[in-house]
Amino acid sequence: MNENVLEVINLETIFKRDQQEIKILRGVNFSIQRGEVLGLVGESGSGKSITSLSIMKLFHGTSGEIKNGSISFHGTDLTKLDEASMRQLRGKKISMIFQEPMTSLNPVLKIGKQLTESIEMHMKLTRKQSTAHAIKTLKSVGIGRAEELMNEYPHQLSGGMRQRVMIAMAMACEPELLIADEPTTALDVTIQAQILELMKQLKEKNDTAILLITHDLGVVAEMCDRVVVMYAGQVVEEADVFELFANPKHPYTKGLINSVPKIGDRKEVLDSIPGNVPSPQNMPQGCKFAPRCSNAMEKCHEHEPEIETITESHFCSCWLYASKEVALHAK
Amino acid sequence: MQSSSLVKQDAIVVKHAKYSPVREFWRAFKKQKAALVASIFIVLLIVIAFVGPYIVPYDPFEPDYNAILQTPSAKHLAGTDEYGRDIFSRLIVGSKISLTVSFSAVFLGLILGTILGLISGYFGGWIDKIIMRTCDVLFSFPDLLLAIAIVAILGPGINNVIIAVMVFSIPSFARLVRGATLNAKENVYVEAAKSMGASHVRIMYKHIFPETISELIIFVTMRVGTAILAASSLSFLGLGASPEMPEWGVMLSSGRDYLGTATHVVLMPGIAIFLTVLAFNLIGDGLRDVLDPKIKNN
Amino acid sequence: MQNKLLQVKNLKKQFQVAGGMFEKKEFVNAVIDVSFEIKEGTTFSLVGESGCGKSTTGRLITRLIDPTSGSITLNGNEVGYLKQSELGDLRETVQMIFQDPYASLNPRMKVKEIIEEPLIIHTKLSKGERENLVLEMLNIVGLNTEYANRYAHEFSGGQRQRIGIARALITKPKLIIADEPVSALDVSIQSQILNLLKKLQQEYQLSYLFISHDLSVVEHISNEIGVMYLGSIVEIATKEALFVNPLHPYTKALIASVPVADPLLRRKKETLKGDIPNPKNPPTGCTFHTRCPIAQELCKLEVPKMRQITEQQSVACHFVEKIEEV
Ligand SMILES: Nc1ncnc2c1ncn2[C@@H]1O[C@H](COP(=O)(O)OP(=O)(O)O)[C@@H](O)[C@H]1O
Ligand SMILES: Nc1ncnc2c1ncn2[C@@H]1O[C@H](COP(=O)(O)OP(=O)(O)O)[C@@H](O)[C@H]1O
Ligand code: SF4
Ligand code: SF4
Ligand SMILES: [Mg+2]
Ligand SMILES: [Mg+2]
Repeated sequence: MNENVLEVINLETIFKRDQQEIKILRGVNFSIQRGEVLGLVGESGSGKSITSLSIMKLFHGTSGEIKNGSISFHGTDLTKLDEASMRQLRGKKISMIFQEPMTSLNPVLKIGKQLTESIEMHMKLTRKQSTAHAIKTLKSVGIGRAEELMNEYPHQLSGGMRQRVMIAMAMACEPELLIADEPTTALDVTIQAQILELMKQLKEKNDTAILLITHDLGVVAEMCDRVVVMYAGQVVEEADVFELFANPKHPYTKGLINSVPKIGDRKEVLDSIPGNVPSPQNMPQGCKFAPRCSNAMEKCHEHEPEIETITESHFCSCWLYASKEVALHAK
Repeated sequence: MQSSSLVKQDAIVVKHAKYSPVREFWRAFKKQKAALVASIFIVLLIVIAFVGPYIVPYDPFEPDYNAILQTPSAKHLAGTDEYGRDIFSRLIVGSKISLTVSFSAVFLGLILGTILGLISGYFGGWIDKIIMRTCDVLFSFPDLLLAIAIVAILGPGINNVIIAVMVFSIPSFARLVRGATLNAKENVYVEAAKSMGASHVRIMYKHIFPETISELIIFVTMRVGTAILAASSLSFLGLGASPEMPEWGVMLSSGRDYLGTATHVVLMPGIAIFLTVLAFNLIGDGLRDVLDPKIKNN
Repeated sequence: MQNKLLQVKNLKKQFQVAGGMFEKKEFVNAVIDVSFEIKEGTTFSLVGESGCGKSTTGRLITRLIDPTSGSITLNGNEVGYLKQSELGDLRETVQMIFQDPYASLNPRMKVKEIIEEPLIIHTKLSKGERENLVLEMLNIVGLNTEYANRYAHEFSGGQRQRIGIARALITKPKLIIADEPVSALDVSIQSQILNLLKKLQQEYQLSYLFISHDLSVVEHISNEIGVMYLGSIVEIATKEALFVNPLHPYTKALIASVPVADPLLRRKKETLKGDIPNPKNPPTGCTFHTRCPIAQELCKLEVPKMRQITEQQSVACHFVEKIEEV
């Protein structure tokens, strides 16, 4: 059971502004296996959402464009597919849930209508069959009064309820890959706990692969099997979740983990990472983290480190773990 | 007071070009070609209005009965009128009257309308109701009819034209500013100012009024065009400037009798009015594209 | 014994949300019953899920809105019903820090103008004196003094929040009401701001009313904590007591729901069922009974009173003793 559902290789995504290309993703690599939850973490602005939008090729209304690399879904390169074929995949084989469910639910359509439309289209069922399937799906995400809810509008629901409906919509066609971009960030903790529990159950049941994007390391620790840490449009570390928390390598990962205040931990002063994420127009030369890194060496400011294998399942791109040396420019 | 190294975390200064709103505006406005040309036209017009009286080729008031109703020529660029006065000179001197009347009327309307709009939007409640209902009543008359009614009450004359045009400008300014105020007062920084103890006047002046400026600038330019048209119309109807004044509307009016024989007498002031109003509207459109936040965010 | 700087007793706030001269009036009970006190130099936190009335409580104390009933005393003086024109003292002693570092700073003003605004309002200092104070303040909150002439929108969230803190501190207030001051920030930046707030508290003997929905942040910064649910405080305790031995079923659920950043502590969660009820028509009796795992008949009928259980801890629940047995 080592089948990769998704393989992202050297993905580069750009945006055009004033006839200039701004590189947002600068070579992203990762893969997700069947039934696996892969966490994608990093500060805001590090390119997590753009990664998910690139996989879905949802750039409409923006100047975004995949410039390089491949995204292979069961062996098919999504970057080569046209819009019509992508539409066939979206909602059926690959589904997505967003942070703010209101932006992805149509405010003027009843919940039932929105659900059955995509079911009818993708599963080729009759109106009656798809209504039954929709109700079944709503019940499976823990909505008791599913029949009533079919006739309600999104604004009549609470935030937690809307996110459940979003998950129901995403899961209705039993996708093989679910991309969840900050699915619980806008929710209260008790509701977040419900939604995370629900995602776990659905994953167990259908063996869905999940790409879970979040900035909350608590959610990562709770949910994920493997974690990819992103910084400035690149993967800087990848490891098994237990390994990552027990033995983080990259100074950025360490900084993130140490910044989290933990209940029961009586530290007077919290660790933090100085400075800010660099903007894509103002990328430093060399290691992108160097201006904020307390371990930065001279070569860090000049050359970008390559991704190194630490153990069989632990990768990190930092000069501290480099296997080969580079010559520094004489200044 | 000293600060420990603990908080000097932001010492990493990201250098970026210094931001300046004026430079930003100019960069965007330069791209609006039509508005740019129109602005040059208006600037020239303003310069002419000021220096015109000293450089005109002929005395605009001096009749010349040897040169009545001459068509445009090298000698008289825009021809002469029924008293043989040089139309080109009259237009130049008239531009000062038209611009003074429209600018002062719009400026007064702007001040009063803005104050009323701010009060109405900021305080809400009964004071808002009174101000807005009054505006509605004024709005229900067509602009020009209202102006005619006011001049009819006050009597003809250039000052009363200014008052009339001002009065019918007030409600539109008040409404515009009230709308912008309602939006602006929802900002968290307005609540922040309140929590600091800032007075109502300070909040309106420092935190709300600036939010209305870009919409006001756009509207003022459009409004100057309308005011020129209204002032000329009133003069045309004999309610504004006195008949011997070289006001554009008056010139248009007195040329009517010669429409069949000497079209240029009407045509020349007509073109002057048309171009000026058009220019103000083009500038307004250009400014809207640059300044209007609703368009800018797209 | 530290002085009580602020005392809030049975505070209540109703907002009218519908109705006028002819229709039936409708109300939201944003704050139903809130009582607590803040001692000088300490931090009291209000924690609870969105809509439970935390911000409304903060806005009542700063008198941005008027209380329906109850009392607010600052340094022993009742301020809950003063007219806006009599609030000069309060406006100087109590300052606010807001959640949204983008929306709470006027984008058309320079950093310098933003920070000096309270001085213009409350003092008669000259331009030069104000400028010196602004530069000193920038230094204190860890911002480069070169920033004074920039516009706020040129800064990142964390830097903006520092500007907000500088503005709040420049009049040397005693009490800072911080409404979710780090909720919009990344963890790495959040910890910078929390450290700064703690350091400033020690240096200037500040008191904080810290409003947050994040229990781990609250635990880090507070001395005492009030847990709010649907407009009322349901448990109030010192930090140590609350996290070691939470008593109210809601507090327990809240603490249990926080995801822990350690995969070794992963466990199946006893999640709280259901949604937060609509504050327009809250449940009868104990407002938590629709979600409480140990609710009884009595809970639907009678509002539980706040009872002091130990020196450090008070709870409003009919069945506290029962919980302790379990
Ligand atoms: N439509 C867009 N046009 C230009 N730049 C964009 C656009 N959307 C996002 N970006 C930029 O891409 C970078 C990564 O953004 P994003 O993927 O949303 O970050 P994250 O999800 O990790 O917070 C940011 O610097 C952001 O400013
Ligand atoms: N100005 C207002 N008018 C009407 N209802 C309000 C107003 N302000 C807050 N509320 C309501 O009061 C309740 C408490 O709100 P709030 O104090 O903002 O909660 P919190 O800060 O804990 O999330 C919510 O139900 C909210 O909708
Ligand atoms: S490469 Fe250098 S600067 Fe980059 S993370 Fe490693 S040590 Fe720090
Ligand atoms: S009073 Fe009853 S419903 Fe309320 S918390 Fe206690 S046991 Fe639960
Ligand atoms: Mg994102
Ligand atoms: Mg709030």
